[in-house]
Amino acid sequence: MKGTELVIKALKDRGVKYIFGYTGGAIMPVFDEMEKQQILSFIMSRHEQGAAFMAQGLSRASVSAPTPQIGVCMATSGPGAMNLVTGVADAVMDSVPMLVITGQVPTGVIATDAFQESDVVGVMMPISKQTYMPLSADEIEKTLHEAVYVATTGRTGPVIVDIPKDVQLQETGSDYRFDPQKYRPELPGFYFHPSPERENIHRAIRLINKSERPVMFCGHGVISSNAGQRLRQFAEKTNIPVAFTLHGLSAIPVDHPLSLGMMGMHGTVEANRAVVNADLIIAFGMRFDDRVTGRLEEYARETAVIHVEIDPSEIDKNVPTSVAINADVGEALEVLLNNPELMYKPRRLWLEKIGEYRHEVADETRAEIESGVGAEGQLLMKTIIHRLSEITEGKDIVVADVGQHQMISARFYNFQVNNTWFTSGGAGTMGASLPMSVGVKLARPDERVWSVSGDGGFQMNIQELGTIMEHDVDIKIILLNNGYLGMVRQWQTLFYDGRYAGTPMKSPDFGLIARAYNIPYQQVTVPDQIEPAIRAAAEHQGAYMLEFLCDPTEIVLPMVPSGGGFADMIVSVPKP
Amino acid sequence: MTTVIKMKRRAILAFMLDRPGVLNKIAMLIRRKMYNVDTLTVCSTNKPGVSRMTITLREDDEARVTQVIRQIEKVTEVVSAKELNRDESYWREVAIIKLETDGERLEALRKKYNFEILDRRNHELYIVQVAGTTWSIDDFLAEVGRDRIIEIARTGVTAMEN
Ligand SMILES: Cc1ncc(C[n+]2csc(CCOP(=O)(O)OP(=O)(O)O)c2C)c(N)n1
Repeated sequence: MKGTELVIKALKDRGVKYIFGYTGGAIMPVFDEMEKQQILSFIMSRHEQGAAFMAQGLSRASVSAPTPQIGVCMATSGPGAMNLVTGVADAVMDSVPMLVITGQVPTGVIATDAFQESDVVGVMMPISKQTYMPLSADEIEKTLHEAVYVATTGRTGPVIVDIPKDVQLQETGSDYRFDPQKYRPELPGFYFHPSPERENIHRAIRLINKSERPVMFCGHGVISSNAGQRLRQFAEKTNIPVAFTLHGLSAIPVDHPLSLGMMGMHGTVEANRAVVNADLIIAFGMRFDDRVTGRLEEYARETAVIHVEIDPSEIDKNVPTSVAINADVGEALEVLLNNPELMYKPRRLWLEKIGEYRHEVADETRAEIESGVGAEGQLLMKTIIHRLSEITEGKDIVVADVGQHQMISARFYNFQVNNTWFTSGGAGTMGASLPMSVGVKLARPDERVWSVSGDGGFQMNIQELGTIMEHDVDIKIILLNNGYLGMVRQWQTLFYDGRYAGTPMKSPDFGLIARAYNIPYQQVTVPDQIEPAIRAAAEHQGAYMLEFLCDPTEIVLPMVPSGGGFADMIVSVPKP
Repeated sequence: MTTVIKMKRRAILAFMLDRPGVLNKIAMLIRRKMYNVDTLTVCSTNKPGVSRMTITLREDDEARVTQVIRQIEKVTEVVSAKELNRDESYWREVAIIKLETDGERLEALRKKYNFEILDRRNHELYIVQVAGTTWSIDDFLAEVGRDRIIEIARTGVTAMEN
């Protein structure tokens, strides 16, 4: 067998259905084999970065599917591979499993600055979970199986397999044998603890039972281990409120009585106040990112911390723990729930206090949502997302880009269904939403997918409208156009005396762009049109684009200034 | 004038599979945590396919060192990693030193230091090999007189628990 045949065989054995990518000299043999065998669907992106985000979308959305698939993207050597870099760095930050296959120049010319050569392994090593370069066809199958195993086990992440062109074309010897069923990778450093230690569970429960003002954190790990249901049971059984990280959203319904909504830089007042006043933090599958903690010196200094986390290197990294439970979040919750020592406690005073926090800005926010427009009469993003949430009953999938609209989607979409929220969190990559939503839709074809972008991020991967057109991907695009790089403008308003350097932005006629790609389009400028437009998009079979003309002065609040502590939280718009 | 703060010297011992890129990964990881590696030695072990690495660096903060070790442990090819307890391990290195001195002076140092004369060009120019702790090598250099030294090659620390 030839190297390329083994590539396709390994992917097929691993249940891969889609490949996202872009061809070129060094990967042509694999593409050719794919064409011959016709067992994988190939989705051609219009830029390799798009392919990486499509693969991410597929992986992210299939975490909760009955048969999870891994997103695979493929590119040629040199510029093709380098265009994947941002998507790979993004995946590693958000622990998204992904298999990246790149063609490399033939082994004979590696490291000679050959045409379209770049050191893919060297570049990717610090931004991926693992990198491989098979040097003979015999290694290919084993390498790909190991790569998928590494990508999808423990704390998941992207894995790169860079295959030299001559290795792709090489024939395996007659004694070549590989049995994927029997194969066990030899990776000594790669162990993880699926189930927690009893002693730690016991200590954690003692702390929980004793606590008067506990708060739970729901992180990405809850979504990755499909543990939303168990987390909810745990919250209800112990009567402990839950705050979400950006990636923990949708694990349990946001309007659950014990939900505090998102915490952190743009978190809700109630979540952030609860964190500051808690006597115990129970963190599930999250890594205490600085966007969540604010200034670390002030964070949880007097508070006991229980940290349930699959990756041991995250424990005690930013916040010292009282009890560390190194295990899969789902398994840990199962063990906690089944432990008879776990007590229900009314915690009346604490829940009353939280009720007060909830009301702090609620009226102001409600009034803004109802008015629907800012001082100059342009639409408010929060009204649009609020309406979207009502119309879809919070049950559709939302894929947000990066910026104000992202934080507003996180805050004002009332997520009801597990794993329906996707966004670039750790890296915060603008342009991720449009391609990511393509992968999401392919993973979950029966659900409605809304891609929400700003005018800035949308134009970073606008070319993927071509992919959407070519493959008839049914995505509802919501473009919140405020004529600025809004989130940066917000910082300029608050912290740079209103000097708008590099943020005003002239955009093309998006209606004409949509027409060029044969995508139906509507522009919305007044509040009355919001609902009918969203309904039209929802009901249309196929892609649909809505452009909303938004108020550039809208500020996403509350906000904890970067490097500040929760005490510095800005709750209302400062009066000039 | 810049004040030099002397931080605690630490040794991390790691065992790993002998695969391409592992050294690079660990070096990069330590750089990312913003450490300057003092010494780094890699050699084979009695187990085929497994290498050992001794890393020394300066740090006072326990938590930061624990972080680095946990990150090293996470590297897929790493078998184990830990910090060596100063009082319960031997830290040794070897230095080859080209120096100008006279034979009598060298003879006088014989009792104190463990060295071997590898080469002698005339009465004045020697190449010697000194083995021992980092300190004893430093002391030897000081005692010979730094101005007499033409060239030094040191292996960096390798270490073992007792
Ligand atoms: C690739 C990339 N470049 C730059 C940034 C920095 N950045 C973060 S948010 C933002 C503004 C986003 O503007 P827009 O897409 O219009 O969305 P809005 O904030 O207006 O909703 C910028 C420039 C980034 N996150 N990603």
